[in-house]
This record gives sequence, C-alpha cells and structure tokens, in this order.
Amino acid sequence: MAVLDELTALRAQTLNDIANAATTAELESVRIAVLGKSGSLTGYLRSMGSVAKEERAEVGKAVNAAREAIEGALDEALCTLKTKELDAAIDAAAVDITLPGRSQQIGTRHLINNIIDDLTEIFLGLGYTVGTGPEVETDYYNFTALNAPADHPSRSMQDTFYVKDLSGDVADVDGESDVLLRTQTSGVQVHFMEDQELPIYMIAPGKVYRRDVADPSHLPQFHQIEGLVVDEGITFGDLKGTLEYICKAIFGADRKTRFRAHYFPFTEPSAEVDVSCGICHGEGCRMCKGTGWLEILGCGMVDPNVLEMSGIDPERYSGFAFGMGVERIACLKYNVPDLRMLLEGDMRFLRQF
Amino acid sequence: MKASLNWLNEYVEIPSDTQAFCDRLDLTGTGVEGVEVLGDTFDHIVTAQVVSKEHHPDSDHMWVCMVDVGDNNLDEHGDPAPLQIVCGAQNFNEGDHIVTAMVGAELPGDIKIKKSKLRGVVSNGMNCSARELGLGSDHDGIMILPEDAPVGIPFSEYFKNTDTVLDLEITPNRPDCLSIKGLAREIGAMYQRDWTDPLSEAAASMEASNSNQRLEDIADITIEDARRCPRYTARIIKGVKIGPSPDWMVERLAALGQRSINNIVDVTNYILFLYGQPLHSFDLNKLIGQDGKAHVVIRAAKPNERLTTLDGVDRELTEDMTVIATPDRGAVALAGVMGGLDTEITDETTDILIEAATFEPGRTSRTSRNLGLISESSLRYERGVDDWEIDIRSAAACALIVEVAGGQIVAADSNDDAILDEWPLKTEPRSLRFRTDRFNSFVGADIPESFITDVLTRLGCTVSAADDEGVLEVLAPTFRPDLEREIDLYEEVLRLWGMDRITSTLPTSAKRVGVITRESRVKSMLNHTLRSSGLNETMTYSFAEPGDMERLKMEPEEGTIAVELLNPLNSEQSVMRQSIIPGLLRSLAYNLSRSVDNVQLYEIGTVFSTAQGRKKPKEKTKVAALMTGAMGNDSWNFRPERFDFFDGKGIIENLIREMALPKPKFKPLEAADAKFLQPGRAAEVYSGGAKLGWVGEIHPKVAQDFEIDAPVVAFELDVDTLDKCMQPARPFVDVPTYPAIEIDQNFVVKDNVTNEKLIQVMGSAGGKLLEDVSLFDVYRDDERVGAGKKSMAYKLIYRAPDRTLTADEVERAHEKLVKKVCGATGAEVRG
Repeated sequence: MAVLDELTALRAQTLNDIANAATTAELESVRIAVLGKSGSLTGYLRSMGSVAKEERAEVGKAVNAAREAIEGALDEALCTLKTKELDAAIDAAAVDITLPGRSQQIGTRHLINNIIDDLTEIFLGLGYTVGTGPEVETDYYNFTALNAPADHPSRSMQDTFYVKDLSGDVADVDGESDVLLRTQTSGVQVHFMEDQELPIYMIAPGKVYRRDVADPSHLPQFHQIEGLVVDEGITFGDLKGTLEYICKAIFGADRKTRFRAHYFPFTEPSAEVDVSCGICHGEGCRMCKGTGWLEILGCGMVDPNVLEMSGIDPERYSGFAFGMGVERIACLKYNVPDLRMLLEGDMRFLRQF
Repeated sequence: MKASLNWLNEYVEIPSDTQAFCDRLDLTGTGVEGVEVLGDTFDHIVTAQVVSKEHHPDSDHMWVCMVDVGDNNLDEHGDPAPLQIVCGAQNFNEGDHIVTAMVGAELPGDIKIKKSKLRGVVSNGMNCSARELGLGSDHDGIMILPEDAPVGIPFSEYFKNTDTVLDLEITPNRPDCLSIKGLAREIGAMYQRDWTDPLSEAAASMEASNSNQRLEDIADITIEDARRCPRYTARIIKGVKIGPSPDWMVERLAALGQRSINNIVDVTNYILFLYGQPLHSFDLNKLIGQDGKAHVVIRAAKPNERLTTLDGVDRELTEDMTVIATPDRGAVALAGVMGGLDTEITDETTDILIEAATFEPGRTSRTSRNLGLISESSLRYERGVDDWEIDIRSAAACALIVEVAGGQIVAADSNDDAILDEWPLKTEPRSLRFRTDRFNSFVGADIPESFITDVLTRLGCTVSAADDEGVLEVLAPTFRPDLEREIDLYEEVLRLWGMDRITSTLPTSAKRVGVITRESRVKSMLNHTLRSSGLNETMTYSFAEPGDMERLKMEPEEGTIAVELLNPLNSEQSVMRQSIIPGLLRSLAYNLSRSVDNVQLYEIGTVFSTAQGRKKPKEKTKVAALMTGAMGNDSWNFRPERFDFFDGKGIIENLIREMALPKPKFKPLEAADAKFLQPGRAAEVYSGGAKLGWVGEIHPKVAQDFEIDAPVVAFELDVDTLDKCMQPARPFVDVPTYPAIEIDQNFVVKDNVTNEKLIQVMGSAGGKLLEDVSLFDVYRDDERVGAGKKSMAYKLIYRAPDRTLTADEVERAHEKLVKKVCGATGAEVRG
C-alpha cells in the first residue's frame, strides 16, 4: 500500500529532522510542518475519509503510531534543547564578579560621636542615664557649685572663655564675667543633683571649651564624658571597679589600669587613672613617653561640700564622679596625629569612620 | 616645683632606685613631670693640664696655650697630642690643672664650643670658669684643679657631684609641698620614715648685735586690714656687703633652675625654696622717711596709685590690690607679687629690711592675674603661706645673710628675737574627728588604726588615741590649709595606704535604670536618617567671625545679636556662631581646594544668640547640611546625578517620614527674605504649621565669598522644633486586599502652575477612590508642548478598600477628575 510507505517515509524523515533541529525554534518549525494545522501528518488524518474502507483501520493505525512517535521525539528533543539553550544563556550571562557593585552611598558618623555612642552604650548597660545641658554656663554651675575656690587658676582668663554679660552685672576680675563657655560638663551633674531623685547614676557627654590655641595636641573645643553616681553605701572600691570595667570595655580586656592620687576641687579623695600602654604593654615607648602608662581620666569620691550644696546629706549618701576626654580616647585608639583634623571636615578623613 | 634629690637627701633618706621613687611619688599624688640628671651635661668636657702658655702675637691680654687632654686628642700616629687653645684668663700658669671644653661641648646657657680663630690664631676649645660650667659665680678666671687631679678624664667622672632634679607637679591644695622641707616631710610619710626639720638649727644660729640704735627706733609696721595681711614681720641687717654668693648656694639654686643674682637675693630665693617662705629685701635707706624712720604700712592700693615694679614696668593699681607703702614714698611693693624698682637692693646697698609675711591668697591670685605677673612668691602666696613660724623662717634667713654677706642684725627692745612682728589674724590649728569605721566602709577596705595614726602623725598632725567607738581626735597643722574636714584626712590615709591596694567592686544598688534623654533619641534618629541619605557627619568650630553672617548675607533671628567672647583666641573666633552654615562652607572650601569635589557634610550642633539685658545666651540645636558635586564618582554601571535643590529637599522628606512629622509644606523663599540663597531654588520648610527651617541652593555670589566655585545645596533645620512636631507613631493603615486600577495621565500647563496645585486639585476631585498620585515626568519642548508650558505626567491609582472597582466606575471618576483639573488650572490634555 503506497500510503503506508509514504507514512513510513514521513515518519523517518520527521524523526531525522527532529534529531537535526539545533534550536527550539527549528524544532517548532518541524512540529508545525508535520503536526500543525496544515502539517503533512495532519493532512493524512484529514484525508482519512478518502482512504478505502478496508484499508482505513490499517492506515489509521499507522498514522497514529507515526504521530505518537513524532510527538514523543519532539518532547524529548525540546527538553534537551531547552536545557542546552539555558546553559548557553547562563554561559553568556557570566560577569566579571570583581567589578564593583551598585550601591547607594551610606554616610559616616564623626569619629568623636562614634566614641561617645560606644561609651553611652556601655554606660546604659550599667544602668546609667544620659544627661545633657547648655554649653554656656554661669560661673556658679561651672565652678562654684563644684567646689572650685573663687580664685582657682582654672577660672582665669587664660584658661576659660568668658562671654559678655549683657545683664549689667560686673565680675570681680577684669575681663571676666559671670557667664562662660563651660570648661567641663560637670554643670549637668549639678543640675541633675538639684533636680533628680536619688539614687543618681548618670553620664553627661558633651562639648566643652578651654582657652588652648589649636595645635596638633590641643583644641579650644573638645568633648568630655563625665559621670556621676550618688547612692547609699558607695565606696572608693566601687569607683575603682567601675572605671576598671570601663577602661577594659574601651581599650580591651588585656589592659591594666592604675590610680594615681590627685587633686580636683569637685572630689575628695581624687585620682587620675592610667591605662597600660597598648603599644609597648607597659615596657615604655614613645606613645606613653616611656612610662608604660597613658593618662585617660580623672575621678574621685564626690566632695561632701558638693553634695551639701545640692541638698544631699553626705552622712547618708556618698558617690563618685569621673571625667574623660573623648579626643584623648580617639588619639589613643586611632593614633590621630593632629587633633585639628577633627574639625576640618576633610571628606578623606571623615569617610574613614 | 623642682626638687634636687641631693638637697632632699639632707633631710630624709631618698630611695636609691629613682624610678621606683618616682612611681611612688606619682601614685601618692605628687606627679613627676620630668627627671633631669645633672652632670650628664658635661659631655666633651675633660680635665686637662696646661703644657705651655705664650703671648698671643696680636693681643696683649690673650694667651695661646697648649693643653694636654690625654687620650682625648690624638695626632696622626694615634698618640696623645695637646690641643692649642686661645685663652683670655690671667689666673693660670704652665703646669696648672684645669677644665677644658673641647669642640662639640655644650655649656649651660646654650654655648656650643666650635673650632674657631681668635685674632688669627686657631683655638680648639675653651678653658672653663666655674660659672661657665654652672658650678658657681666665680668668673674671675678659669677653674684651677688641685695638682693631683688626673689629666684627660671626663669632667663628670672627676666631679662626681651628680644630682638628680625632679620636676614635680604640686597640686593647688598642697602649698606645703612647694618647699624642700615640705617635700621631705611628705616623703617621710610616703615611706613611714623619719626626717629632720632643717629649720630649728638654722634659726638658732641667728644672733642679733647690740648696737646703740634699736629696731623700734628704725622702723615700725602698720597693718590696716588684717584679712589682707594676717602677719607681717621685719628684721633689719646693717652693713651687708652685696657680692657673689658662695658656690654651694649657687649650685643649690642652679639645680632648681634659679640663676644666681647676688648674695642677698640668692638667700631670699634659697629660703623660699627650702621653707616655702617668700621674702622680700628692701634697701632700708630708701624706706626711711623725713622723720628718720621707716614706717612700713600694709594697706589697700589707692585708686589710680602707680608703682614701677622690679621688672621696670610702670603699673596702675586697683583698690583690690594690697601694697607695702611708706607715708613718704607711697607704694614700694605689691604685696606678695613683686617688689618696687625704687627700693630694690643695689650694689651700693648696705642696710636692708627683710620682710617675711603672709598675704590673703585669693587677693594675691587676683592681683597677679590682673597684672599678668606670676612669680615664685605669688605662686606660694596664692596657695597660702603658713602664718606660724614666719619669725623662725625669717631668723634662718637673716642668719644666712649674715653668713654670706656679713652685717649685723639690729636687736629689738621689745623682744629677744630682734624682730618687728605684727600678727593680727592667727590661723588656729583645726581639730577634726576621724571615724575609723566610717573611713573603712567609705573606702571599702580594712586599714588598721595603727597605720592611720602613724601616717597622719608623720604628715604633721597631732593624733589622740582612739576612743571606744574608734574615733580619733586629729589636730591638723596650720601648714595644711587643705585639711579642713574629716574627708580630707580620709584622702591622706587612702593615698598613702595606696589606691592600688583597694579591692575593686561594682555598686550593688538594684535601683538604677539606664535611660537616654528624648533629646539624644531625636538626635539619634536624625543621625541615622541623614547617614542613610548619604551625608557624612562633621564638626566645625562653635566660634565664628563677627562678619560671618554679613558675608553669608543671612539675617540673624529678629531682636538677637551675636554672643561675644571677652577673651577670644583670635579675631576670627571672637563670637559664637549663629548658624552652622559658615563653618560648613569653610569645610567645603577646604575640601574643594584639595580637589575633593564630591562633598556631602552635615553637623548637628548648637548655635548661640543673645540680646541686650540678657545674662545667659539662648542656645538652639540645629541640623545643617551642605552638598556639592554628586553622591560619589561616576561608576561603570551607575552615574550619580549632580546635586540640585531636590537632593536637599529629598533628605528633608526622608527626615519627615522617619520622624513621623505631620505633612510638610515647602514655601518658596523670595529673594528679599533669604539673600544667601539662589532665588527660585529656595524654600522654607513647614510641618504641621511649625517652621522647621529652610532648604535651597546657596547664592553663587555668597558661595564665591566663601571661596567656593560650585553649586552648593544646603539646609538648616531647628532640632527642637523637629522634636516638638514629632508624632508618637504613625497610624496603621491596612494593607489593601482589592486590586487597584492605574491610569497614567498627562497635563500640559503653564510654567507657573505648580505640582502642588495640580496634586491638590486632583486630590479633591478624585474623591474616595483616588488612592495615590505620583508625578513621573516633567517635559518641556517649545514645539511639541509649547513655549512657557510644561507637560506633567502623573500615575493615578484608584482603589476601593471593600471591593474590586469596575473599569466603568474608574473611567467615570477619572473623566470627572481630568475635567476639574483642566478647569481649575487651565491644563490641557494631549495624546
């Protein structure tokens, strides 16, 4: 039967075409040419009516068999080709992953505030409240309430910036006034003692001013973090333990601290605290000027006069206070060679932190 | 305070390990700021012998000598060779043993020895006098060593008299330590070691001579105000011979950095360092008035009174200052600060009046600050000089003067002590309680009572035995004005016990809660948002130039003026800033001048202002930012746009969102209202009716005045207002469940129709179904859109919260909207 031969040939030819199709598109045109609306195999199905009745079953069987075979081959080929094409597409899409990414610039925090943030977090963890206050203070809150004698040298015009007092009040010493740029944040502590309930556990970070000409190691404006604790039963041992904890938190657990007796009007007894030098580990080097120690903060037990002036009974309450220079910590941690860089706003400096 | 260990060692045993000694001083409160080993300075200085001495061919007073310096100078064969030295001294002969400074030596006073020619003759060094070596005042000739002195060894080795001098930081509460005597006592307490008081013996050696004239006939003392001068004493010595001081004293003084002047002045300095007692010596004859007597009056200076002080400066005095005066001459010395030039000791002086006194500390400090005069005397008086034992210290001084300058101390009628002594205000020793139990619980330690008693006693206190409750009665000495209260004694015991011996603990209270202030929280939100927006935080000076605001063309807030400093460091920093912008502009110029062209800076800080009649200035916290260039350099896959107005505005929009501020309103700022901003690119920012600040591009002319030649976007907002406007939380709006229908719609409007207007009309015309409107394109084209016009393209989102909208419904609503917009704004719709 000629029809059967034709079908056999068509089937063979189509399977061959499928095998030879290199792309899914070629495969699709093979499918359309054979199985499409006007495809060659579809033609045989359509013309089944004209096949002799006795041959119809046999031809029909052959056509269906051919269609099944072709469809099977098409599916298989399609699957293979799709995988191949995806692989090719992936190959083509490969990039040099060392090229820089696409990102939105994120701004930076100033080094000094970065350190204040870190310290604030440590103190919050210890249960301290963070307080702030004005940068221009009266002589009372900057000196007198802190037990500084009326003629303490730190009050001199060489050390403290005085502000023109427009109220008409006149100061004792020429060129000074009752109003000044705070030289310490301790005034915040006095306000706290006057206004807050006991016990007090607080720190006051902030900008302070001293009349030093700007040079690599001095700035007329800098930052301090001062702390105050007033509670029943506070001991000098508590002061020591707290500051040792802080120093280790800032500089690392391997650093040692030492307390040197000192004098501050605000505290009695008073001490200065050194941490062991991180560069020579106490051997002595240029960083620590050969001493093995770096001075880091001043502290002491709150003077009973100071407590009394704020209406706190020193027989019942005791406390400690401390103050540290943030720029000093910045220098020790980052070796900043010139403090003036902190105020220049050089992008190449700022973007490092 | 400088302290010679040799000198100290005469009164208390100093540990041989200087390093450990310094550490102990440091830990107990006497800071060691410097350690200088004297004798180290004798580098290149050797013992020598004069081999030959011949006349200089070209000078009648100089000699050309050959000096044997042993192995220190070798000839080409490696054999010792004498040095040729030209010398002007006359007191030596061939064979004398001398001290020679070779080429390379450095002598005190910064004299460097170099090879030189003196009138044509080569000189390879210098033969030294004692004074040139800093060892005395003898300058008559070179130093001649004994005949048995070895030749050619380093002088420091021969001299062996090395000393170590410590530079000590004496805290203001310890006036007693501003003396060798006080330090000896302190060191004794530090090591629980006995010490010898140098004073008693020295004073005992004073002898007055019985001349026909008695002290009372020559002088008297009147103190007008006891508070100004609690005690004043005077002694008179007649027939002194002013001259050089003995070497031992010159050496002592030189070790402490004090130059030798003459025997009288040197004694006063010596006594000052040894006992901490400032003295002043007057030329007696210049104090004696017309009645033949010196009437010494201690009184307040008169208004406009003048005095020429020892340094030759004519000074105007104020009533706050205390002077020593005579009725005839007026002021002759500024009490406790500096003597007068007219009554100073000169080479012709024979009779002197020695003042030993104490003056009011605060007043001395004010006087020296007001006059800018700080002396060794004022330094001690302003910390407090003990009024007790002044007579004994004065006796020691006079005994020493007689020893070094001769003369006779004039005896007195009224006492055996040959002294005029007015002591109207006596300091009484303080009696204090020391509760040992309380002390130990305050410190957190268990320090034995025996230690407490011992250490306080060594410091000069009188300590009674403890009562049943462990309370000690402590009598604090008058030379320790800082020991006023029980707590002051605690400090003494603690520091000498050693702070390092106290166990570290943490406060045990459970009643504490860490809180940050609202202010810090607001600042923290600002910081996070600004940094997320790409800005970098900086800090600039709080100080400003008085002309900053004018240069910026920014008006200060109405009715306010700048806060002026009374003592600025320089004229560029003489007021406090009224805006952060000038400081940021300076930083920007700094960056641009270093070729950093992309700059994004912000600062949160205080600005200051005041007004007539105000005492304290007003402080406001501001946040200010500047942007120039772009947000970074061009990248291979991303080109940041150049900054313009909308970058500033966008950051403010971020802030408003993050801080949950009410809906903002940006009002155009007219040129007249903000001359520092570029007109047409400037806006005031409001939120919920409150003015937050401004945003805009800095006027190019203003930028140029700050040396900036690039467009600058800036803003400055008031942080306190931001804080006040903050809402506790934004209300929650449910996430939509029904689909939206989006329609893109363009309107062509005249240039003066604002986006705000269009959105407002759309908002009211769109009704409930219009959920959101956003602008996605602005297009101008003279031909296609028309001159003076712009095409604004919006995406409109329609949605109902409770159902799916039908296309018809939306179409109707949208048509109505478009019609209303066109009617209200003159907009046209183009295909």
